[in-house]
Amino acid sequence: MRQATGAGPAAAPSGGILLEVRHLVQEFVLRDHGGVRGGVLQAVFDVSFELRAGETLGIVGETGSGKSTLARSVIQAPPPKHGEVIFEGTDLVRLRRRAMKPVRRHMQMVFQDPFRSLDPRWTVAGIVAEPLIAHGVGSRSERRERVNSFLDRVGLDPAGYGKRHPRELSGGQAQRVAIARALVLEPKLIICDEPVSSLDVLVQAQVLNLFETLRSEMGLSYLFIAHDLALVKQVSDRVAVMYLGKLCEIGPVRDIYREPLHPYTLALLNSIPDPSPPEGKRDTARVISGEPPSPLDPPSGCRFRTRCPRAADRCAAEVPELRTLGDLRQVACHFPLPARNDKRAEREFVL
Amino acid sequence: MTAAALLEVSDLCVRFRSRGNVVNAVQGISFTVEPGQTVAIIGESGSGKTVSAYAIMGLLPRTAHVSGSISFKGVQLVGRSEKDLRDHRGRNVAMVFQDPERSLNPTMRIGAQISEAIRCHLPLDRNDAHERAVELLRLVRLPAPERRFYEYPHQLSGGMRQRVVIAIALACEPRLLIADEATTALDVTTQAQIMDLLLDLQRQLGTALVMISHDLALAASYAEEVLVMYAGRVVERARTRDLFGSVRMPYTRALLGAIPRIELEPHVLLPVVGGRPPDLSAIMPGCSFAPRCPDVQQDCRHHTPALEEHDSGHWWACWHPCGEETGP
Amino acid sequence: MAVPVADALSPAPPAGDVTAAGRFGRTRGVMRTLEITIPGGVLLALLFFCFIWPIVYPVPQPTGGSILNSSLPMWSPGHIFGTDTVGNDIMARILYGGRVSFEVAAAVQLIGLVVGGLLGTIAGYAGGPVESVLMRVLDVFIAFPSLVLVLAIVDSLGQSELNVIWALSAFSIPAFARVARAATLRLRDQPFVVAARLSSAKTWRILVGHIAPNMMPQLVTFSLLGAGVTIILEGALDFLGYGIPDPAPSWGKEIAVGQTLLSIRPSLVIVPSIFLFVTVVCLNLVGDGLRARWGVRS
Repeated sequence: MRQATGAGPAAAPSGGILLEVRHLVQEFVLRDHGGVRGGVLQAVFDVSFELRAGETLGIVGETGSGKSTLARSVIQAPPPKHGEVIFEGTDLVRLRRRAMKPVRRHMQMVFQDPFRSLDPRWTVAGIVAEPLIAHGVGSRSERRERVNSFLDRVGLDPAGYGKRHPRELSGGQAQRVAIARALVLEPKLIICDEPVSSLDVLVQAQVLNLFETLRSEMGLSYLFIAHDLALVKQVSDRVAVMYLGKLCEIGPVRDIYREPLHPYTLALLNSIPDPSPPEGKRDTARVISGEPPSPLDPPSGCRFRTRCPRAADRCAAEVPELRTLGDLRQVACHFPLPARNDKRAEREFVL
Repeated sequence: MTAAALLEVSDLCVRFRSRGNVVNAVQGISFTVEPGQTVAIIGESGSGKTVSAYAIMGLLPRTAHVSGSISFKGVQLVGRSEKDLRDHRGRNVAMVFQDPERSLNPTMRIGAQISEAIRCHLPLDRNDAHERAVELLRLVRLPAPERRFYEYPHQLSGGMRQRVVIAIALACEPRLLIADEATTALDVTTQAQIMDLLLDLQRQLGTALVMISHDLALAASYAEEVLVMYAGRVVERARTRDLFGSVRMPYTRALLGAIPRIELEPHVLLPVVGGRPPDLSAIMPGCSFAPRCPDVQQDCRHHTPALEEHDSGHWWACWHPCGEETGP
Repeated sequence: MAVPVADALSPAPPAGDVTAAGRFGRTRGVMRTLEITIPGGVLLALLFFCFIWPIVYPVPQPTGGSILNSSLPMWSPGHIFGTDTVGNDIMARILYGGRVSFEVAAAVQLIGLVVGGLLGTIAGYAGGPVESVLMRVLDVFIAFPSLVLVLAIVDSLGQSELNVIWALSAFSIPAFARVARAATLRLRDQPFVVAARLSSAKTWRILVGHIAPNMMPQLVTFSLLGAGVTIILEGALDFLGYGIPDPAPSWGKEIAVGQTLLSIRPSLVIVPSIFLFVTVVCLNLVGDGLRARWGVRS
């Protein structure tokens, strides 16, 4: 149920729609002992969004939100059970493996743990060159040139680092190698799955800056997945919030943070430790209650209703659809939070 | 420094020998914890914060060489026998670790694990221990504590497991609780719940809390005093308000600058400090942050600055600290 | 500085920004080296004596001894371990018998590694029906008690060193396949393999370039430990009379023959037993030592 977003004046950088995800569903069948079908884990349920060229869409959520699974489904590793992933006009879900190859050139991924995303037995130069070899790009010397230039670009001296193995690198350096590998085919879209979560604070800042710089230099689009709200705000143009496999809301970054419409987003924002020092302890009322439900047995209707202070009967009976509210914002909630300047709406939402 | 201090660490050094190398994990740190106080120790990997915590708990392996003084309620801990340390652990000081998965025995019911901890130090029989365990579960706000007593760790969520770990830590009413990255592995909403719980428990039981983390924002929200560690040394120590209001040590300023913050506009480049933490097996003269410090001067490289109380309640180890009004 | 994390199956170090080498380095490195070099040295010495020594030094023949020399005791001149009931030099029988043990062990492990490793890797990577069929077929072999299976094969094929090798391979191939499959399953979902797939690398390149090298440490240690088992099985075969044919010597046969004279001349049993024991223990020690050093998860 896609709403026309229209050519809004603000936020998103110009450029056509690069990636369109429609009603994506990803399930995992759990097997009991002996291989008998145990249950079905719905990791991602009916997620739809678009990404424009040159834009960064941040996807934020906690454990079990399905954000990593969503990322993997977009790159078809493994392909989703239902739904469409339309990249530059082609539906990837329908493509056969061979036809996927030219597409893969334009869509790359950076993983969370750099030491697990790099083969410990390969050298740095070999790792970065692998995509070039797989796509048959250039001669041997041309490839070497290219590898060196990208290593340079991510801040690693090719002469010094080319022959090293991942275990000789620090976390930050290893992640740079992973980024160089993702860049070497000059893709249009890079999916970043928690790329800085395992790095120390100072290194994290370096790598984030690298992402930013490369973005403007190479005209990249990012799908940036993270659990850290402040981090996501730092890098994104638009943000999508996920909970237990569903999209709660999506919209321009400043709007989401200033004026969240979904109660879960508000709860998330309230949970962030506040570094500007107020005296004394926190306001306990803002802390969310309850435990996250098991993804195996999600609540009926709206999945957030068991922890939502605004939940009503309708929330248990009916699954809220993603609706457009105002400029470029979409929310999946029966009783979204009132927009600050929408007094009329406020009356409607009082329970 | 006062006679009433709960924990007094003085010039603590921890060295590890490995293959002819000596790694100086902690190089002479000193601080105190008052009863009921909340202190945060902030640092990145390799700063020595966890090793310090282990030293206070008496949990370091035999390959560690500890010198200096760790005094708990006036009793010296360095050089004690394993037996004495075992009594000390759990009774006086307890620790909550990062990963609740690994802190709990997956094959034992959680009630049994708590009872075991209780009966380690307190002379209670089985039934009394059971009762106390249920009480503890209630204290840590675990719903349906009587039923949970009989459950296994895998039946609980991450947040609930961490509550159980806290219950075990509090079983013998220690005066000091050390939380080593206790909420790092948890979701932000769960983190808020657990931190809230810890603070409440502190108030109720009068326990002092030492939070070890890499997360400055977390420390700022919950701690009264913050210690910043770098390369095995404490480089700045102040009341929270002072640390964030008038940061002095360039390293702390770098840390503050590097955290993405909600107030900032998107796509802004963060101020970065290049380089990496120094190799702890080779102590160089001078300030350990000198190679990376944007404000470095000649004397920084030759003379190691000592941690001194330059302002009331605000200590730093720097020859050329940041100016007056720098906030984050 | 770097810790030799040998492969992607070893427990991963934390990232942070400290090198993967870790902050505290490796303790007891010297001890661990001795754990490997001492038994390794013993094994090399045994190999030398079994294969090279008889070529260099005029060691008596293991067969065709003269009755006149029979039953000489230990430490006799020219016959360190004495001679057996028909006059063969026992030392020679030990050395030549050792050849058999080592040859069979090496061959069986190699066949297992190559064939079993290949089958297991294919099964693990392909998954689905291919995996099911392969693994069920191999399961049939594993289901048999090893000795029974081996006996049956040798019985039908006839006695010879080569047939013993085939028979024992029927046991080692499924064992390696299982290990390889498990390792492949674990590696297949590792981010670096996913990354290679995303780079559109061809499947065989992934298998050869990423999966196989990262399995190697595990397979090597497995084969060393398996070699010990193989030697014992081979010895058992000979002991039961199903192994290599007479009059060729082997450790198992010496034990079998000596068993009847155990009360009179215990050295006939003890000496080959000691060699068997030492060889298997050294293989185990080296295998274990390498496993510890490489951090291989079993």
